[in-house]
Amino acid sequence: MPNPETIRFKSPEELKEEEIETKIKERGPEGEILGGIVFEEEKVIDPETKEEQIKKYIYIGNPYEEKPIITKLETEATQEEVEAIKKEIIPMKESFEILEAMARTYKHRQPLLIEGPTAIGKTYLADKFTELRYGKGVKPLDFYCSGQTDVSELMAKWVPKVETEEEKKKWNEFLESAEAQEKISQIAQEVEQEEKLSQEQKLALIHTKLQELAKSAGLSEKTQWRFQYGAVPKAMGLIKNPDGSFSFDEQKGTGFTLHIEEVGLAEPQVINALLKLRGRKGQLAEEIQLWENGGKKVKSGPKFWAFFSTNPPEEYLARNEVDPALARGVVFKRMGELSEESLHLAADYYFTYKLSEKPKEKPEGCILDIYNHPEIGREISKVVSIFHNELNEALKKGEKGRQQKIPLTLDDMARVADALIDIQIRNKETGRLDLAETLRNLIHFYYLDRLADEDLKETMESNLNELLEGDTGKIEFEGKLLTRKEIFDILVERASITEEEKSRREKEEKETRERQLKQAQFDSQDALNSLLKNLKIPESVKKVLQE
Amino acid sequence: MEKQKLNTFIHLLQKVFTQKQPVFDLGLIVKESKSQIEVKKVSEEIKKFVDIERIVYDEKIFDEDVIDKIVDTFSKNRWVFLEIKKDIGSPLLNQLKHLANYNSFQLIDYQGKDIFEMKMPENSRLIVFAERDFIENRISYPHFYGLFGPTLSLK
Repeated sequence: MPNPETIRFKSPEELKEEEIETKIKERGPEGEILGGIVFEEEKVIDPETKEEQIKKYIYIGNPYEEKPIITKLETEATQEEVEAIKKEIIPMKESFEILEAMARTYKHRQPLLIEGPTAIGKTYLADKFTELRYGKGVKPLDFYCSGQTDVSELMAKWVPKVETEEEKKKWNEFLESAEAQEKISQIAQEVEQEEKLSQEQKLALIHTKLQELAKSAGLSEKTQWRFQYGAVPKAMGLIKNPDGSFSFDEQKGTGFTLHIEEVGLAEPQVINALLKLRGRKGQLAEEIQLWENGGKKVKSGPKFWAFFSTNPPEEYLARNEVDPALARGVVFKRMGELSEESLHLAADYYFTYKLSEKPKEKPEGCILDIYNHPEIGREISKVVSIFHNELNEALKKGEKGRQQKIPLTLDDMARVADALIDIQIRNKETGRLDLAETLRNLIHFYYLDRLADEDLKETMESNLNELLEGDTGKIEFEGKLLTRKEIFDILVERASITEEEKSRREKEEKETRERQLKQAQFDSQDALNSLLKNLKIPESVKKVLQE
Repeated sequence: MEKQKLNTFIHLLQKVFTQKQPVFDLGLIVKESKSQIEVKKVSEEIKKFVDIERIVYDEKIFDEDVIDKIVDTFSKNRWVFLEIKKDIGSPLLNQLKHLANYNSFQLIDYQGKDIFEMKMPENSRLIVFAERDFIENRISYPHFYGLFGPTLSLK
């Protein structure tokens, strides 16, 4: 019996924490992750109205951790939506690492930068994280750096109101010139130097300068101008309306999620603009000031959050590293390649068709409903994940004759899985699905046909053949050492026999029912005939019987 | 031109994915260096399968105009055949990436909206056509191929 003096009663908060942690770490009967994201509703008292109201929250934590750090965030999503979003996330260790980092930095208003390979799912998880907070279908505000990013698209710009196509052409051509870039940067410098001017005076100065710019471009000096905010200030002051649309208020906006992709490709002037987002104590800036609007401040709403992502330098030709100043101003998380374990898990999810509803009827082109046979899917997933991994390793070294790099993504695998449902090749001898040939064909289409390096293509083709039919690809299956093709054939035969058996039985049952019905008809006719022949039955009754 | 390959290419583009998001792919047709095929012939061949509008992206056209044309074509539930003849500018690349990532457009201050969002209609798709040498030597965006699902190589 425990010493009563050592008994400690847990507070309701502690009990709640334990309950949430148990849910975060929940696993299924086969050890599969079921937790990671938990939805809860809580009754809270509104501090202003003092009325009780129900608020919705999500808890996010890494279920692979023994002691996960759990972040609680308010959400606009419903429980059904959160459950649906959860089902769309393959529970890989890396996915939860990213989600956990997103939740934690969002809560503390810290900008997050994740550097990781394409396959890690940065964009996909940014999308899912936004949906988890706002509901299904709500996308973050995206901005993509490309190596020729226009800073004005990011921050702000003045656009002339041109009437004719010719004027538009003149202006766009002028904007692309070095002269225009120089003149615009001169305006910025002049306006910024005039510190003593009021905002209105600065705007008047900008207008004068813009008219000079219009003249240089060959436009009328009386050109009207329209001011347009870029992605950064827009995200700071966005308001998500109940109907799903967005409006903007530079002072009272609630803010929204801004995802700046491929920031490793950003040029110095873009980085300089992004550095304006750095605030105090590692947080996002409370406000930013733009010369373009005369120095008027744009406030950062409470829900504004900036997420940067980029690929590792080796995935870029010029080995673009993240700018050190930017890296210092954000929470910088570097992710490695997907682990083999995660790759297998993803392949298993795709080829056992766990991510979606299965077709109710066999689609056209489908010989065998493999989506109903997870035992086949699991074997396919082993082959595809090995092939995917091998090709990925080879592609990291680059291809002969190609400047562009083509990193593989999990989407490549998902495409093969989807196509496998209704693009199937029949074995002419057996009449059944030729799974090895179908897989070879689809891998060719989705993986190999895009390779420019013929030698690599040939090597990968021969590796795939070896994996499917060669001795080195053999594995133990039900006590025998077999090639993957042999295993596929056995599994397809079993699944097909079951199918044939099922339809044969159905046919037999139908025939039996029809026979029984016919027999019953004959029997009743016989009985009727014997009654009609019976002399003891009055004619009036026989007449009724005949009718 | 191998009709069977083109047929499969169109079929794969028409596919609505269940295992991945977004559910539609963008397609890429690459004309290899030695190919003699005319781009017009390719778009005409595709026209036999689907209702498609050809848009040429070259020095004569600005990104905003191409975006307007694609939005307009999608609003008519038609496919787009986008022939790339100059390096892709930041505004168009933003939209191509958004289409590839989310099957939707996301434009700031467009058509009177602070944020304009337009889903790619179920019956529309986008095919980009470019020459291999052009992609390798003139497109500065290093992950160009990553925007697309099926790729058809014309030899």
